[in-house]
Amino acid sequence: MNFLTLVGKNLLRRPTRSLLTMTGIAVGIAAVVALSSIAWGFQRSWAQAYTARGTDLIVTRVTSRDPLPPPFGDAIKDDLRRLPRVQGVTGLLSDMVSIEDAPTVLVFGWERDGFLWGHLKLAQGRWPADDSEKTVVIGTVAAEMLKKSVGDTLHIETDDFRICGTFTSAAFVENGTVIMALRQMQRVMDYEGKVNFLNLKLAPGTTDREVEALRQTIKARFSGYNAFTGGEVAQNNTAIQAAKAMSWATSLIALVVGAVGVTNTMLMSVFERIHEIGILLAIGWRRRRIMRLILSESITLSLVGGLIGILLGLAAVSLLQATPWIRGKIEGEFDLPLIALALVIALGLGALGGLYPAYRGSRLHPSEALRYE
Amino acid sequence: MPTPTSRPANAGDSPGAGPGDDTLIEARDLTRQFDAGRVHALRGVTFTIRIHEFVAIIGPSGSGKSTLLQILGALDAPTSGDFAFRGQSVPAIRDLAGFRARTIGFIFQSFHLLPTLTAVENVQIPMFEMPWRAPERRRRAAELLQAVGLGDRLGHLPAQLSGGERQRVAIARSLANEPQLLLADEPTGNLDSVSTQNIMELMGALHQQRGMSLIVVTHDSDVAACAGRTLRMRDGRIVADTLRAGGGP
Repeated sequence: MNFLTLVGKNLLRRPTRSLLTMTGIAVGIAAVVALSSIAWGFQRSWAQAYTARGTDLIVTRVTSRDPLPPPFGDAIKDDLRRLPRVQGVTGLLSDMVSIEDAPTVLVFGWERDGFLWGHLKLAQGRWPADDSEKTVVIGTVAAEMLKKSVGDTLHIETDDFRICGTFTSAAFVENGTVIMALRQMQRVMDYEGKVNFLNLKLAPGTTDREVEALRQTIKARFSGYNAFTGGEVAQNNTAIQAAKAMSWATSLIALVVGAVGVTNTMLMSVFERIHEIGILLAIGWRRRRIMRLILSESITLSLVGGLIGILLGLAAVSLLQATPWIRGKIEGEFDLPLIALALVIALGLGALGGLYPAYRGSRLHPSEALRYE
Repeated sequence: MPTPTSRPANAGDSPGAGPGDDTLIEARDLTRQFDAGRVHALRGVTFTIRIHEFVAIIGPSGSGKSTLLQILGALDAPTSGDFAFRGQSVPAIRDLAGFRARTIGFIFQSFHLLPTLTAVENVQIPMFEMPWRAPERRRRAAELLQAVGLGDRLGHLPAQLSGGERQRVAIARSLANEPQLLLADEPTGNLDSVSTQNIMELMGALHQQRGMSLIVVTHDSDVAACAGRTLRMRDGRIVADTLRAGGGP
């Protein structure tokens, strides 16, 4: 007989109780998995947005971690273009704007001849014809959200813009945005000649080391500016950080509930088995082995619960993504690190929840425990 | 009934030998109090037990015999006095659990088997303290069950066994780690007379074959009669130490 056989038999003795405890753990882990999956997916979508746009480096003022840094003059554009390996530089101005009664929408102004447009696919209508035209294109998700289609007008800040086209983007998050020519954006936002990001496109085959060298050059040569890769910008995005913090806070509550459940179950099980623990101690089990038995039981409970939770979390995310309200807005990230994290958390819950019961069990006095019926 | 030869109580040594190499247990002036001194379970007990001896401890309820057995089995500590196992003071041992696992086998009145485990699994429980792997543990457990006549009951749960069979499983378990001393607390207290006789015959035979010492606490005089020596207790003291004529190992 293996030690684990003993653990399993002890857990199967009260199948309903074990099952309920595992369910508690499973719900906690499912919350962690689903919420983290969405928060990480959010972050990855942004990182991907830069890749899809063909942007290798983003240059901005170093002021803060603000996802929408304050605009600055684009005078350094020409200097940036002369740096080694830089193939293209294009500015953009972005802001969160409240449009009519919809929730805030991210609005971009893109240079009309810049490389950013290349990755968008026109779904309907056409692109803005020139810099003076008061037109916008909107992503398909934004169209659904704003209940607008080609030919309708959008009231942005002080002006009315006509929707000349709808588009889909390989960068998932862009589908919920509104895009216009940079000149129009600068005019309506009252930021003449200013941008808040400069996108750099580098020559194909540029190595990571060359990218890093270029970053250092930019930092050194243009004081007050910094260069980031898309992934870093996404990571520093405060909105993404807020989403992550929310997901952690919610997960934490679920996990505490799960841990208390494990502790309660294991304490009950120890109190029920005082006599048996007395037998084990009497026939020579060391206290450490009693501890190991009880801890193994609680860890087994939480690991099995954790596995169920991972499946539940996966199901929850797919279910959310399938509903018409959320489809196309949230893309869950579901990969090995997340599963590993969930399992590590489950392991921690089991160890933590089993610690006190294991201590209580191992401290029993053998002859007193033997007399206990 | 063999004719008992009376000896003075609390004799410091075993009959026929000094406290030489064959001394297993040497107990000196053991006392045990409970409830902060209000209950005196043992009031100064001194005796010696030799290797391979079969001793019965008898006496009425409350005479202190179970308390004495608990102390001998390192399950309880004396309030005062000392007791040595092969010359080593037991209360001074730090790893008492390990000492119990390696040197002592316990047999209890109510068997104390784990209800969720089969016979062959119950016998393996003490073996976790030994450096044996799972197949080795199982092989040894099956052999022991064979030795107690339960070779065909390996996979039975305690609830599927009769009282006598359960006690046989417990006996096999007590032998799991090849102990030098078997302690039995009223081993036949829950059994009918036929089972009692069978169990005592089995214990006598195992004692002969395996050469360990055996101490049985009982108030059944028929059970005590199987032993080579009888310690009679009353009010926490040994009042008679009797050797069966021609008895002993």
